[in-house]
Amino acid sequence: MAPPRTYRCEAIILSYTPLGEADLLVTMFTRDQGKVRAVGKGARRSTSKLVGHLEPLTLMRMSMAHGRNMDIISQGEVVQSFSKLKEDLTGITKGLYLAELVNGFGAEDSANPELYRLMIETLLAIETDPESDMPLRFFEFHLLQVSGLMPELYHCVECRAELEPDAHRFSPNVGGTLCLDCNPEDAHLRLLSLRALKVLRLLDRSDIAAACKLSLDDSLAAELKSLLSTTVSYWLGKEIRSNSFLERLNNESLPEVYI
Amino acid sequence: MSRLVQELNRLPGIGPKSAQRLAYYIIRLPDEEAYALADAVTSVKQNIVFCEECQNLTDASPCQVCSDPRRDRTIICVVEDPLDVLAMERTRTFRGLYHVLHGVISPINGVGPDQLKLRELFSRLNQPDIAEMVVATNPTLEGEATAMYIRRHQGRDDLKVTHLARGLPVGGSLEYTDETTLTRAFQGRQEI
Repeated sequence: MAPPRTYRCEAIILSYTPLGEADLLVTMFTRDQGKVRAVGKGARRSTSKLVGHLEPLTLMRMSMAHGRNMDIISQGEVVQSFSKLKEDLTGITKGLYLAELVNGFGAEDSANPELYRLMIETLLAIETDPESDMPLRFFEFHLLQVSGLMPELYHCVECRAELEPDAHRFSPNVGGTLCLDCNPEDAHLRLLSLRALKVLRLLDRSDIAAACKLSLDDSLAAELKSLLSTTVSYWLGKEIRSNSFLERLNNESLPEVYI
Repeated sequence: MSRLVQELNRLPGIGPKSAQRLAYYIIRLPDEEAYALADAVTSVKQNIVFCEECQNLTDASPCQVCSDPRRDRTIICVVEDPLDVLAMERTRTFRGLYHVLHGVISPINGVGPDQLKLRELFSRLNQPDIAEMVVATNPTLEGEATAMYIRRHQGRDDLKVTHLARGLPVGGSLEYTDETTLTRAFQGRQEI
């Protein structure tokens, strides 16, 4: 029997690019198939039934049809629009940062429901408190975990000795933390303070609600941010482009006004 | 022949097959029509410049709109692209001036404020006779982010900053309208 021509899926829109006269080529992350690229026919026309539905950072329930080269979005219904997040410039930029990472780490035709759930709960946490950076740190850490790239935090990756309560070294290249006795030649090697190691272990054990209650001083927050974004960028194999605009907004920290 | 196909293939929306079809069409054109096409491409690259005021593409700076004394110089409409100016002009409703950004802030594509004509906009806003700025970026996520950035950085307390109304398109349908648009349409309801 021939496979059905249509199917239903739930997906978060990651990005789109214009295609042809009025179509959109949409990249989305689905719960059951991982990353999918599909065409929204006529979606740029103001009277299209898809207009407004395919904006990035929208959780959709969709009917799709198998196409010759790419699938076609035939119908869509918004499940969660994260509208509060989209009323804030910092919130939008943080959401797009997540979308860029999921686009980079998510594989086509390979379901990763943990990553799907992680993205939704992180978007909800950003919506609750757009100014806090903890949802991003939680996301970066668990992104590594659900992608099979979890750094070692309890034993030295070289000598396998249990880590003492002290400062250590860290490198994504060797897979995590090293004791101070082990010093392999590695361009990515950096110091890891005991406080930062404790926060990483806490991120490992806690859920996002507990992680967002953490209050870090500026130097600890900067250390974690640098460590996690460098690690994520290392595994992605390229620079995270939305990071530079996010940095710029953080440095400005002006009051937000929505028009 | 293959060079022409290669060059046509670079154009947006033109795949390899379409590029071949266009190339064959150009070869079959009478000489004068083919040279006219080549001349149009050459002259557009040689003669088109950014208007020194609104940054729109023009063959003479300042452009026709900016040099028209009948335009209202107290109001500036900020748009993403030159095509948006044409769309606005077709309405014959807006009689003020424009400012073309040539894109929107797109963090995911590495496009930041420095790649847009924002410095020129903020410099124009220093003119005290400008009383209102209409931010007419598209109601997309990146268009909204750009509008918020402009609002944040425009630097004048006495400037009225507005954006175009959000709501239902003429010929649209409530049933198929997304919740954000419908909410905005409801918030902006008008007495009839």
